[in-house]
Amino acid sequence: MTAASSLSSELRSFLASESARIARDFAVTGDGRAAIAQRTRLVEDILKRLWQELVSGSSHGPQDVALVATGGFGRGWLFPYSDIDLLFLHADRSGEEIHKEAIRQFSQGLWDLKFKLGPASRTLAECDRFDPNNTEFTISLLDCRYLAGDRDLFERLQDKLIPKLVVRESKVLLRGLAEVTRERHGKFGHTVFHLEPNLKETPGGLRDYNVACWLALISSMGQLREWPEASLLRAPVRRQLDAALEFLMAARCFLHFRNARDDNALSWEAQDEAAARKIGATNATDLTAADWMRIYFGHARAIQRTVMQLLDEIPEAWSSLRRQLQGWRLRPSNANFSVVDGLIFLQQASSLQDPEMLLRLFHFMALHGLKLSASTEHRIEQSLPALAVTPPRGAELWLYLQETLLQPHAAEALRAMHSLRLLTLLLPELKPIDSLVVRDFYHRFTVDEHSILAIESLHRLKQSHSEWDKRYAELLGELEDPELLYLALLLHDTGKGVPGNNHVEASVEIADRCLDRLNVDPGERAMVLFLVGNHLEMSAQLRRDIFNPETVAAFAEKVGTPERLKMLCLLTYADIKAVNPEALTPWKAENVWQLYISAANYLNRSADQRVHGDAGDDKLTRLRSLAPVTSAKFKEFVEGFPHRYLLVHSAEEVMRHMAMAEEFGHDRVQVDLKRGRHWYELTLVTKDRPSLFATLTGVLAAWGMNIVKANAFSNQAGTVVDSLYFTDRFRTLELNMSEWQRFKESITAVLAGAADLDRMLRDRQRGEKQAKVKVMVETRIDFDDVCSSTSTLLQVIAQDRPRLLHRISSCLSSQDCNIEIALIDTEGQMAIDAFYLTSRGKKLTADHQKRVAGSLVEELKSLELGG
Amino acid sequence: MTKVEAVIQNSKLEAVKSALQEIGVEGMTVIEVRGHGRQKGHTEVYRGREYSVDLIPKTKLEVVLADAMVEKAVQAIMGAARTGKIGDGKIFLTRVDESIRIRNEERGEGAL
Repeated sequence: MTAASSLSSELRSFLASESARIARDFAVTGDGRAAIAQRTRLVEDILKRLWQELVSGSSHGPQDVALVATGGFGRGWLFPYSDIDLLFLHADRSGEEIHKEAIRQFSQGLWDLKFKLGPASRTLAECDRFDPNNTEFTISLLDCRYLAGDRDLFERLQDKLIPKLVVRESKVLLRGLAEVTRERHGKFGHTVFHLEPNLKETPGGLRDYNVACWLALISSMGQLREWPEASLLRAPVRRQLDAALEFLMAARCFLHFRNARDDNALSWEAQDEAAARKIGATNATDLTAADWMRIYFGHARAIQRTVMQLLDEIPEAWSSLRRQLQGWRLRPSNANFSVVDGLIFLQQASSLQDPEMLLRLFHFMALHGLKLSASTEHRIEQSLPALAVTPPRGAELWLYLQETLLQPHAAEALRAMHSLRLLTLLLPELKPIDSLVVRDFYHRFTVDEHSILAIESLHRLKQSHSEWDKRYAELLGELEDPELLYLALLLHDTGKGVPGNNHVEASVEIADRCLDRLNVDPGERAMVLFLVGNHLEMSAQLRRDIFNPETVAAFAEKVGTPERLKMLCLLTYADIKAVNPEALTPWKAENVWQLYISAANYLNRSADQRVHGDAGDDKLTRLRSLAPVTSAKFKEFVEGFPHRYLLVHSAEEVMRHMAMAEEFGHDRVQVDLKRGRHWYELTLVTKDRPSLFATLTGVLAAWGMNIVKANAFSNQAGTVVDSLYFTDRFRTLELNMSEWQRFKESITAVLAGAADLDRMLRDRQRGEKQAKVKVMVETRIDFDDVCSSTSTLLQVIAQDRPRLLHRISSCLSSQDCNIEIALIDTEGQMAIDAFYLTSRGKKLTADHQKRVAGSLVEELKSLELGG
Repeated sequence: MTKVEAVIQNSKLEAVKSALQEIGVEGMTVIEVRGHGRQKGHTEVYRGREYSVDLIPKTKLEVVLADAMVEKAVQAIMGAARTGKIGDGKIFLTRVDESIRIRNEERGEGAL
């Protein structure tokens, strides 16, 4: 016994001195691989000495029992504070009995040395018995290594048993491994970009590296039926992975030594220290923590990509969704791309020499939500250097980018572009936020991932079933230019990559440069800059009393128009949702919604605030300088228009209206017709007269046009600017160029009294069939006498039908009401119309309102019955 | 030891936090809550649909203090949170049996 205890103390001091030496060496060299190799050898030596002493003095003895290293120890990777995985392999049960005592003493000796063991004891037959609930044990056998004892027994395990077992069970093993991996990825949001990653468990970490090796090994063993000679992975991929492994080994050793235990979390303090000591990057110049993390993310990305590719390419590892797509040649395959088994391939290898093809590829990806095959990714990487010399830019790039952003799987395409380094090539403005760690306790992800996740949150709205998400989803469906919102989300935090305190201002500057480079239209540019510049505004309001009318008014005034309000509301939703999975609590969602509807209602009620022609505000001053008319004429034109007129129309549009008004000498009715993105736009500039709006809407109804949106404004001098946005139900204008002129002439003729509108309408009505009502909308008629000092606000909500607007406005005319302002909107089958009315220059009396309401109800009812 | 729970307006949180910090209170817990007292809820009509909020969003603050500090803290909270209108909120005091610091197992008032 004394021999044993003296051996024990000898080993203890040997262990202590050697461990200290390894730690000292690492502190100097930062070489993780060397440190773990040394520790592995150290532990092996000790194990062998103890084995000789306590179990069997002869080499390769005793018979029928072997000491085997498995798991990390078997791989030769023993990190400073990792568990030591051992297998006591017995030939059979009786052998186990014989050696039981010796092994107990052996284990006791190891515990005395304070080794943390992960011991297992099995007979050879038991190793062969595969338990689908314990795939971990079988996988740990893949890394087995002989330490001491019966060599023959070990070789029977390694050379015969394991290959046979793997071949037999490869499907289940691969599936199990894939499932466990996907589950773990799910816990970490399927992203490598965590602010404080766990080196072992986070996607792209050491566990993923091992998974990649196992997947490759099991799948090739399954085919070769023996241990493979070479690796499944291609040489350039191997090199990338080796570099990544070096880095992670150094980083994990660093953490173990620092924390004096098996703690693999890269906290911010650890990141600071690692950067200062240049862990894993000994040749680098001075590194900040953010720089160091970028290196980490680069390696993690490489590992994650390899794992994901293997999971995609090994059939047994496919997710259940993929299995459904197996063997399909999807119809989306076109002349350029083919889809096989859910992966995208290029029809022609050389096609990527054309940059446009690259953009089309990602659009295709975003549309269908498919992944790129490894060969396609490889080709893309090869085409990048040439692309960098002449990158696509300007309007062409913006066109493709818009279309891609609008597709349901845009976020996945953006992530793929980003991981292939293509996104920062096309949009260099994103470089400063690439893999950027910004430290605050709220955000979970890096800035670039956060921005892409925000875009994804909006696309996901359409499938969500939660009550709140449905409301926001409705708003999303109402947007005229959602691509501007997505672009704003992509750019909104770019300012965080620039030193300074105010990232909002910085983001606006950077966004401006980007919009310039993409040649975006001035009107659209203004919208994106507005969103980026005010992206924190709604959250800020939540800290105030959102039920206080003054708070709402101030906020609504700042936003200015309903369209901007909707965009800002959705931007806020997406921004909060992408901070971390719990950030958008029902409390927040409700408050943001509450603020939205209060502000929306305020905007509707506050449209009747008039412009004064000589006011000094920025917008007016800018317009005045652009106007091609004298400043007296300018003042005369803008005086008396509601502020809303200037907000809803761009400077160019206002200039055009002014120019049209100048032509009154030649033609008292000025009509402009053009085809817009979503609708046709009709602009009418003329002098006001009774029933003007009703007549105009009547002509459109008679031509079978469906008015979707409209704005009617008038100024002090009685000049009216009516803008109607409509869809052409019978494709009259689309298919017949000559009809454009006839249509315009028809309007002028009716207004001049030279054509019979009533007859035109009757003719139309005879052929009209009642449209199917999908969603019943209840009629609501509300008067508001308070919001404007000079007119009465009437809000009508009704079932959208052909000729609805004409009927309502005619009814108002016949009831002796003058429409000062009309704000018309349609959402699905719901018409939402707001009219600011006066009667003989004054607000409507209570009695008058009652009469108008009654008349409207009758009119709408008769319309419903087909009258 | 006494737990001071205060339900206050969202817009008053910063002011109350500052007021408490000024008198030397160093720790607190803040929770987002909804509720109502006599302050009536709010109904907004949007696009023809009614959205009624009868549980109004508020902020709840919790601090556990040595008895000697309690009155000062109550005064500080009231001073910072009051507007004089219905909806200002309420403060509740309850006795706390024990307080323990997780890091080093310290107990009693020293652990506050």
